[in-house]
Amino acid sequence: MEPVLKIESLKKYYGRSKNQTKALDGISFQVMPGEFLGIMGSSGSGKSTLLNCIATVTRPDSGSITMNGRQIQTLKGAELADYRGKEIGYLFQNFELLDNLTGRENILLPPSLHGVPERESRKRLEHLASYLGVTDVLPKFPAQMSGGQKQRIAAARALILNPGLILADEPTGALDSGNAKALMEKLSCLNQKENAAILMVTHDSGAASYCRRILFIQDGVIFHELRRCIPEESRQEFYSRILNVMAQLGGGSANVL
Amino acid sequence: MFFKLVSLNSRRSRKENGLFFSSLLISVLAFYMILSLPQQDVMLFLNRMESYAIDRLLSMIPILYGVTLFLLFFLIYYAGRYQLERRRHEFGVCLMLGMRRGRLFAMLLLEELGSSLLSLAVGLPAAVLLSELVSLVTVRLTGIGIIGHQTTLSWKAVLWTAAGFLLIRLAAFLILSGRISRQEIDSLLADAPEDAEKQTASPLHAAAILAGVLCLAAAYGLAISGTAWSGVRTMGTTVAFGLLGTFLFFRGLRFPMELVLKSGRRKDRRLHVFHMRQIQETVIRRSNTLAVCSLLILAALCCFGAGVSIFRYYGQSEPYVLAYTFTGMDSEKDAETVRQTLTAYGLDAPFSDLFEMRIGHIRTTEDYEHAFQMEPVMSALRNMPPSADTEVLLNNLGYATYPYLISLDSYNRLLSAAGMPELSLEQGEAAVYMGRDFTAHGQIELLDRILESEPEAVLDQETIRLTRTIQTVNLVADRSITLSFALILPDDRFEYYTQGTCSIYLNGVLAEETEAQAGLLAVISDLNDKFDRTGLSYESYLQNMGRQLFYMVAASYITLYLAVIFLLIANTVIGVQFLMGQQKSGRRYRTLVRLGAAYETLCRSAGKQIHWYFGIPAVVAVCSSLFGVWSLLTGILPSSARNGRSEMLLISAAMILVLSVIESIYIMAVKRASDRYLLTLMVPMREE
Repeated sequence: MEPVLKIESLKKYYGRSKNQTKALDGISFQVMPGEFLGIMGSSGSGKSTLLNCIATVTRPDSGSITMNGRQIQTLKGAELADYRGKEIGYLFQNFELLDNLTGRENILLPPSLHGVPERESRKRLEHLASYLGVTDVLPKFPAQMSGGQKQRIAAARALILNPGLILADEPTGALDSGNAKALMEKLSCLNQKENAAILMVTHDSGAASYCRRILFIQDGVIFHELRRCIPEESRQEFYSRILNVMAQLGGGSANVL
Repeated sequence: MFFKLVSLNSRRSRKENGLFFSSLLISVLAFYMILSLPQQDVMLFLNRMESYAIDRLLSMIPILYGVTLFLLFFLIYYAGRYQLERRRHEFGVCLMLGMRRGRLFAMLLLEELGSSLLSLAVGLPAAVLLSELVSLVTVRLTGIGIIGHQTTLSWKAVLWTAAGFLLIRLAAFLILSGRISRQEIDSLLADAPEDAEKQTASPLHAAAILAGVLCLAAAYGLAISGTAWSGVRTMGTTVAFGLLGTFLFFRGLRFPMELVLKSGRRKDRRLHVFHMRQIQETVIRRSNTLAVCSLLILAALCCFGAGVSIFRYYGQSEPYVLAYTFTGMDSEKDAETVRQTLTAYGLDAPFSDLFEMRIGHIRTTEDYEHAFQMEPVMSALRNMPPSADTEVLLNNLGYATYPYLISLDSYNRLLSAAGMPELSLEQGEAAVYMGRDFTAHGQIELLDRILESEPEAVLDQETIRLTRTIQTVNLVADRSITLSFALILPDDRFEYYTQGTCSIYLNGVLAEETEAQAGLLAVISDLNDKFDRTGLSYESYLQNMGRQLFYMVAASYITLYLAVIFLLIANTVIGVQFLMGQQKSGRRYRTLVRLGAAYETLCRSAGKQIHWYFGIPAVVAVCSSLFGVWSLLTGILPSSARNGRSEMLLISAAMILVLSVIESIYIMAVKRASDRYLLTLMVPMREE
């Protein structure tokens, strides 16, 4: 099976030689179709830089990012905009809904940006909205929604064009635990049903426990990897394994397993 | 370090905010233009002829200066507000780092002072040049081409310009910095939060827009029917209806926009919903500002329309023929005396032609009520389809029972001096003379049609045929001597009817060489001095033209000046409001970028918003101005200036042309600023 995303020795350095920060120092990994991959690490470990590189918001210094067999660093102009809109879906920590557009209009923004006729996306919109339980807030403006509803609208927006990969940047960061749990359940269900790969950056071990595989990053390199053994390992068991690694991460590299 | 910061900041402001800097320059120009009015060539010229009227006009300059000060204050205020709003974050950081508020204030004050001085340094020379240019153009437009142009620099105007400009900048700065300094650091640091979207019931807005349209229709109706001009109260009602209608219209505008949003979505329009929502938001939030801007544009258009029509009316004077008319002669002998006096002083040389214009009354009868009757003409008029023109003619000609008589011979001399073909009349024929000041163009056309059939009339019991076309060439140089209705008769009949008693005016036509040598102004003022010494009573073309020019220049200069100021202020406010709104919604644009919007798509969307934002108030203003100009034409100008629909179409077309040129300049400038801002959003921001 071909991977959706293939990252090879990706490097991104900030600053000059004397005072250099190695945000990414030769990271390589793959994301398979339908995989739910988590990325964890402390602040400044390079998580956001990695996500930004994949989202083509930041240009890496070296290495390659291949998405469905295409080198994304070489994309330009319209191709690049298409890539951002159609091949990846982005889920933000702060939802980033446009506050002067209704829920429906927010969800239909990516099709409108990429010239997809509305009637084509309408069916998908209804399907996603009912699945995420936001059908009745579609005509409302973000100011009239709860945090959980906002994030689910944002999720529908990320999914509307059926992207092969969803990039989620701390999607539960601004949610209370109940809403966070509900969102993660919906996301992991979607991941299984629609076979869409999800790449999620998070600090939250609870949210991470929904993943099937977790990469721990420190100082720009992959420092550890955890895989959940499905179906025999329960989410709770996986969660305690994650906490274990987090404790060791906090304790420094002397305690590496 | 402090001063370095100040100079760096000022330079950045100038670079980034051309709109602000250019509005500063415009203010300087506006001040100087109004203050240097007394030094304009036309004014200097008029001052010699009509010094009393000019003094009255010039005494109005302080008032105009005050009005300009007041209006430009808003320009500076809005532009400055945008300038400071965009630096909120920077101020927050400065305060956060421990800069005292006093020091921040001092820094801003110094920046302000620096940019003011720079705008004065750039603006004043430009203003002097512009006022010279306007001076030359007005001289050219008024058709005199006679004035030896002198470059003038009015130090008083320069000083007052600087003083007024600094005053309004300081006032605007104090208010704006007061607003900024009252805010807490965290609100300065945050992206200025927008209020939550207000959802309001649509039926209310539908009612508002309906009421607005009705009010506007009422105002238009009152304006064009002429009722508005009948008194202060009706005028007040009209204006109140107009104002209320405009505000209600803009308030209710969100209703049709909601309809547009809900329907008509086409697949090829990228971000259609987004920019419609953006426009709707601005319309909702700033409906009153938009209404005010629309009214300002309307005021500008009406001023412009009034200025142009006044200019055209007073400017379309008959071609210059006679330079001088000597008056106060009752007989051939008197005329001969005048000629002799002129020759004695050697003053006949400059004239290429010196001829008598003879005008008299009917002396063969005492029956003033029935000395002249032209029933066929009147009945022809009555049979015509009724119109304002026929009504006026029937009324005026009803009184023409005792007309003046003009000798054909002297009238022919006048025609040949004017380079027109001479008139020949058979026995029993008469031509009709009507002064142009009394009779509109359309009325003359009507009468010409009637005269084609050579209708008969009765002059003191004798039947004569009225023939040829209506004659309108001014008889003498003095424009206060005009005849509303007169008959031109062959000389023997003229002698018979006047019984040899008539008034004689000695008309002088200047020789072309004389005129070409020194220009008309120099020649006439030189000659005036000489004629004054002879003790002859005379009228010169220039004195009369002076009076006319005075109306023309005074009215059109001031209205056009106000029009430009109104237009500039309205557009600057609209532009600045848009850019401020755009910066406040910067986060939305950032989200669009992350969702994969290309820079070009964003610029296009912003461009559409700009078009709408400028377009809505301008279109409303244009609609209202059509009625406004129509009303002005019926209300202000004398009846003879109403040349009807074609005139109005012409003025409207010119108005709309000027408006669209100015609008597109502003739209271009705002688009550039917006594109530059959007480019800064394309770079990722780290948010954690």
